[in-house]
Amino acid sequence: MAFRKIFTQHIQKKTCHTMAFYKQHGGYEQAKAALSKRKKPDTLIDLVKASNLRGRGGAGFPTGVKWGFVPKTTDKPKYLVVNADESEPGTFKDRLIMEKNPHLLLEGILICCKAVGIETAYIYIRGEFVFATERLQKAIDEAYDAGFLGNNALGSGQRIDVTVHRGAGAYICGEETGMLTSLEGDRGNPKLKPPFPAIEGVFGCPTVVNNVETLANLPYILEIGADAYRAIGPENSPGPKLFCVSGHVENPGTFELPMGVPLRTLIDKHAGGVWKGRKLKAVIPGGSSAHVLTADECDVAMDIESLAAAGTMLGSAGVIVMDETTCMVDAMLNVMRFYHHESCGQCTPCREGTGWLAKITHRIAHGEGRMEDLDLIQDVCDRMVGKTICALADAAAFPAESIVKKFKSDFESAIQNGGSPAWKKRHPSVVGGAASHA
Amino acid sequence: MPDIKTPTTRWTLNGQEVENTSGMTILEAASEHGVEIPCFCYHPGLSIAGNCRICMVESNRSPKPVISCSERIADGLEIETESEVAVDARNSVMEFQLINHPLDCPVCDKSGECVLQDHSYSHGPDRSRFIEDKNIRHTKELGPTISIWGNRCIVCTRCTRFCDEISGTSELCIVERGDRSVVDVFPGIPIDNQLAGNTVDICPVGALISHDFKFEARVWNMERKDSICGGCSRGCNIEVETLDGFVKRLMPRENQDVNDWWMCDEGRYGWRHLYSDDRVLEARGPSGPLDSSRSITAFIEILDNSPRVAFLIDPFLTCEELHLVHALAASSSDSLVGGWLPEQGAAAEFPAGFKISADKHPNRNGAEQVFGHQVFGEDASHLQRALDDGSIETIVAFCGGPDPDGPGQEWSAALVKASTRILFSVLEGNWLDGAALVFPATAPLEKEGTWVSEDDRLQRTRSCWKPGETPFPGELVLLQSLQSALGTRSRSLSAAGIFRELSEVCAPFAGHNHSDIGSSGLLLSDRPAGVGAGGGA
Amino acid sequence: MAVTLSFSPSTMKQYEWLLTRYPTRRAALLPTLRLAESEFGEIGVPEMRYVADLMEIPPAFVFGVVTFYTHYRRAGTGKYHIQVCSTLSCALRGSEDVVTRITERLGIVPGETTDCGLFSLSKVECLGSCDTAPMLQMNDDYHEDLSIDDVDQLIEQLRESAKGGSN
Ligand SMILES: Cc1cc2nc3c(=O)[nH]c(=O)nc-3n(C[C@H](O)[C@H](O)[C@H](O)COP(=O)(O)O)c2cc1C
Ligand code: SF4
Ligand code: SF4
Ligand code: SF4
Ligand code: FES
Ligand code: FES
Repeated sequence: MAFRKIFTQHIQKKTCHTMAFYKQHGGYEQAKAALSKRKKPDTLIDLVKASNLRGRGGAGFPTGVKWGFVPKTTDKPKYLVVNADESEPGTFKDRLIMEKNPHLLLEGILICCKAVGIETAYIYIRGEFVFATERLQKAIDEAYDAGFLGNNALGSGQRIDVTVHRGAGAYICGEETGMLTSLEGDRGNPKLKPPFPAIEGVFGCPTVVNNVETLANLPYILEIGADAYRAIGPENSPGPKLFCVSGHVENPGTFELPMGVPLRTLIDKHAGGVWKGRKLKAVIPGGSSAHVLTADECDVAMDIESLAAAGTMLGSAGVIVMDETTCMVDAMLNVMRFYHHESCGQCTPCREGTGWLAKITHRIAHGEGRMEDLDLIQDVCDRMVGKTICALADAAAFPAESIVKKFKSDFESAIQNGGSPAWKKRHPSVVGGAASHA
Repeated sequence: MPDIKTPTTRWTLNGQEVENTSGMTILEAASEHGVEIPCFCYHPGLSIAGNCRICMVESNRSPKPVISCSERIADGLEIETESEVAVDARNSVMEFQLINHPLDCPVCDKSGECVLQDHSYSHGPDRSRFIEDKNIRHTKELGPTISIWGNRCIVCTRCTRFCDEISGTSELCIVERGDRSVVDVFPGIPIDNQLAGNTVDICPVGALISHDFKFEARVWNMERKDSICGGCSRGCNIEVETLDGFVKRLMPRENQDVNDWWMCDEGRYGWRHLYSDDRVLEARGPSGPLDSSRSITAFIEILDNSPRVAFLIDPFLTCEELHLVHALAASSSDSLVGGWLPEQGAAAEFPAGFKISADKHPNRNGAEQVFGHQVFGEDASHLQRALDDGSIETIVAFCGGPDPDGPGQEWSAALVKASTRILFSVLEGNWLDGAALVFPATAPLEKEGTWVSEDDRLQRTRSCWKPGETPFPGELVLLQSLQSALGTRSRSLSAAGIFRELSEVCAPFAGHNHSDIGSSGLLLSDRPAGVGAGGGA
Repeated sequence: MAVTLSFSPSTMKQYEWLLTRYPTRRAALLPTLRLAESEFGEIGVPEMRYVADLMEIPPAFVFGVVTFYTHYRRAGTGKYHIQVCSTLSCALRGSEDVVTRITERLGIVPGETTDCGLFSLSKVECLGSCDTAPMLQMNDDYHEDLSIDDVDQLIEQLRESAKGGSN
């Protein structure tokens, strides 16, 4: 079967975001079928399980399995919270869906609500996405007007309400429980698990958290069936996928391709190759929280299992490409500043560890590094990983430990030669992160 | 040991199979087996935050270490608190905790009782690998009684949870995020609630500092005694901390039946008058100070020459002191006893159940047991009428309270109708004018004995004084000396001895003694089996 | 604060609508702060106090929330808040040059506001537009694929519209 784009097929069209356009192209048919009274919620969950759809937010958790954790009978309301926080550095795919194809997301939401028995859904969108918020809101208004949402969604008798909820600038609100606390009106501190959101999530009620892209897959799965869906890309992590390529490439952008596309093909063919005719140095394949790959390690397929086998992860599929001129000390400093700036600060290892890593890297980049700092970084990372409430500490440690290990010579050279080249040129083209150190 | 009805869980702690009541956290359950797991953010009186991570232990159910303050025991669970994984996790947290922590111990009020300091001896790295500049956070007043030293704050959120959950006042918050996070108040809204002082106690480090105690004493130099707050009829259990017999600080002492882990600020800070310049410190007659034996002689002389003696008691006197007053009154014929009560304050009840009583009398209940329930009521009116109509020549009145007005305007006016007045007072005041004898009275924190709280709880209060170094003989000693001089007592006893006498003659106290009161008190109604309702006051 | 703040009737209507969308009042805090931001122009102490009182939420709680997030317009922010993305993908494509250029043109470094109160400059984290790096957010709008000329033009354009606006 030829690969069919489901997210980006029509995005060149001016009116692609409208309900009229969407319906004209078969939109809402799957939701109508799903919400019909004859359709049993369990068959929907089974279908999604059988499809092997895995979460597109970062962790790659099987979506159907997650839905299955939600108690069938409960006297509490259940909620769907759509993760539209999209703040993983190098990731810009959900924004595309929301700006160009918002009804696809809404249709996915309707299907999920039917499957899990949910009446209230929130789309938690990062505060900076003003335009995407407007587009979404317009789409929701259209859907209410059409009776697709509301007390009798699509005539099903089921109430389904969708509310867009804007964040206010905090990466940690992309972590699912941080997002829930934030939605409750609080500081976005992640919650202790257990209890897991499926049992006790937002407002103390069973909650499904899914990424925008994950949900946007649902209409297609219903349309073509689990078997056909599983046949797209590798069986264990199949499906059409949005890959974001940024950094030192000729043609950065979002590319919709089957799961498992070779990383090299993605960079060289789709993203136009490394820019300015330069050579590849490093790639972070899954948003900045992933372990870095050297140029030699880039013969890998872009799917969950292959990247895990390569010692990194698909994560959010934000592929950040660095060319041969990149000083990895500067790159690491930038990344460490990010995590330092974004740690919510609850857990001691993350609050202190992210700052410490940033300070050590800063020192090395600015010519005050010591050889023993390299072991120290490794050790600080070991002391952070797996000891915190959420995975942000790990997300900071993974790039740190891998960059130092794999690009040791950049660090040695900065230590021996009085700092990173950029620092020495007094031209810190990469070092500047948002969080500044006094 | 759990009884048969409560479900129990069998699990393994450091290789030993153990049993605990189901539903406990690992930390609580381990503690029952003598394994103390360190904690910063956990406090048994507050919700679980799980943020400090110091309590991590190794579990057979998780690839990562788990936090024992929040994970619960389960059948078959195997926990290691001293394995390499557990120790490593703890050391990691300790090192992270210390990298930005200032080396303030020598000047920090918390030094000596600081959880961080304690742990850094047992878990800390010997040498800091952190060579960067430490983070700076604000130092400022948060309210009239409390300041924050931000650099010391470990963001455990105990203080904010206290204000949200226990006092319900929510003045504190964490501002900013990451390692810029620190405790603050809303600009212009200080922390100023009746329970605020507790936040300083529960701060595991020296980040919250009480203005009252700042630089007052090093905690390891202080002596501690379990006692009871005399601020109101609740009878909060406290620890009195003294330096050379002088009170430096009061701290609440856990008692789940009374005050949980807390006390109110009025009680906490309500002891400064003990060291007032207006303190009555020696006995005196109209012509000046009297030494101890002359004051007794003068007292007896007055008693001997009085056809009718009346006593005005206060609700601060201990049951033991009251027993002595009772005996003294009984020994003179036609005596009258009434009691006065301080003015009511405002009662308060807080979201987590902590209460402050409107009644500012720690032993009204005890006095009523000793003298009968009329003593502050009908008996008091009777006494007042007798004073008013001039039928009382001699009165002995007690005021252990902090008010220079003694028993208050009304009583003071009545008292002067008695021509001969023997007055016990903590502070100098107009009501002492013209007294035949003035004796120094002990204030609540100076008394040895028992009080009965408004909940009928018999509790032991202890004196802050150094034994053998008492500034004056308190009522307990003085009243016994009087009895000896009168020939009604053969040897003087401690408070425990007097209590034994009381328990023999006064039904509500029958069967009890000081040692079985224990540290958390007992309900008077929970009489030991076999003790009848015999005897009587 | 001499004037007491209060929502206009239409904002109040939006606020009341918000309350109907959540099972708890507190959940409406973040969006209500957005209403306050657009009604009052910024979120400072009086605005936080107003929202806290309106929603019957402890002011300290609101303070903790507002300072946790970076995207509310804090008091004293210039009319044009230029937020340059400085995270990796943008840094790799020259975001620091963008910052430097703005600093040259406006005479302020990140974290500062021009004396005239017109411009504030910040470095911010990944804005989810890395394919169009380097990029910045000016108030609500994204400006992408920036060249140094684009930066110059943007500043000129803002200066012009500020003049126009003051007439
Ligand atoms: C620090 C951190 C940041 C995250 N940020 C995002 C994000 O911006 N968007 C997202 O969809 N998931 C993010 N996640 C993953 C979510 O926690 C969660 O796994 C996901 O929303 C689940 O949805 P899915 O199963 O559909 O992928 C983040 C996780 C962590 C630990
Ligand atoms: S790991 Fe970091 S971001 Fe996550 S909860 Fe802990 S401190 Fe917050
Ligand atoms: S001030 Fe003390 S109690 Fe409060 S968060 Fe900081 S360390 Fe914890
Ligand atoms: S509540 Fe009463 S007994 Fe408790 S501390 Fe306050 S004054 Fe003392
Ligand atoms: S005591 Fe368990 S995490 Fe703090
Ligand atoms: S790094 Fe700048 S938008 Fe992502």
